Amino acid sequence: MMDDRAAIERCRAGDKEAFRHVVEHYQAEAIGHAVAILGNCEDAMDAVQEAFIDTFQALDRIDLARRFYPWFYIILRNRCYKLAAGRKKREMNISDETEIGAPASSIRPEDTMLLEQVMLELPIEDRELITLRHLDGLSYEELAERLEVPQGTIMSRLYYARKKLREKLVRHSFKGFSEG
Amino acid sequence: MTKLNCESVCMAAMAIADGYQSELSSDQIEAHLADCSGCRHELGQLRLLFTLLDAQERRQRTENVWTLVERRLPDAAPAQSTSRAWHPFMILGVLLLGYRIVEMVPERDFGLLFKLIPVVLVIGAFTYLRENPFKIDSELSLEGE
Repeated sequence: MMDDRAAIERCRAGDKEAFRHVVEHYQAEAIGHAVAILGNCEDAMDAVQEAFIDTFQALDRIDLARRFYPWFYIILRNRCYKLAAGRKKREMNISDETEIGAPASSIRPEDTMLLEQVMLELPIEDRELITLRHLDGLSYEELAERLEVPQGTIMSRLYYARKKLREKLVRHSFKGFSEG
Repeated sequence: MTKLNCESVCMAAMAIADGYQSELSSDQIEAHLADCSGCRHELGQLRLLFTLLDAQERRQRTENVWTLVERRLPDAAPAQSTSRAWHPFMILGVLLLGYRIVEMVPERDFGLLFKLIPVVLVIGAFTYLRENPFKIDSELSLEGE
């Protein structure tokens, strides 16, 4: 199995097939993250394609000492936000999906469905942050690297995002959640 | 120094639960919580949310974008950065500096054509680079836009 560094070096040397290794290795994760931001799979697929093409054209600028995915994520994120902004301008709202998949057996399926619905009501920045923290388990340090903000900002943004999510769960009478 | 109020306490408590060391100590948080039922409720709710979210798993993705990406990849592979784009600018700088030195020669009038030399040099440089300095990149956007 080729590692990322070797694949990127081969891409730079003109081997397009090596880029296939990079795409196939990271596409599932990338689509998941794009869905988490955009709220639907169709737009996510477009954003991921564009991001990989941008990446191919920028491979000469990648620092091989850094891990590939956090660097790629910044490109992907820009693509997603640009697409979301365009969608906003067209006044379209095609939110139908989150990254929440099979829940643990301790959670009822209807609760997961309601959680998914409530997550889609959050602003995309909050949905992205919560997904990265809870579904990917990223630390504050990793979140700060991905989102290019200080760790203190991650702390406050995460707090307000969770608070908003909690308030929405209260409004939807989610079991266990109540006003103070 | 973080001001101790309900919001900062709840924020710090959640950060500690996330494994991040906030500016408030556990003792400060505990002392505040002992006297504040509102914060105890808020934190209880946020911890419940924490448990709910942590119990979720990522959806499995099976889509393959390679064929779509491959079709749109440029033919030329990206070359390793050996960019020499700065060379024309360096040459332009040296020429303009030379012009300025010649211009400083006292009691010499080189005429109108001489004054046009910097303009010609700049136009020549951008023509060579095939760049339009007045082009507006509509793809650019402000951060957070």
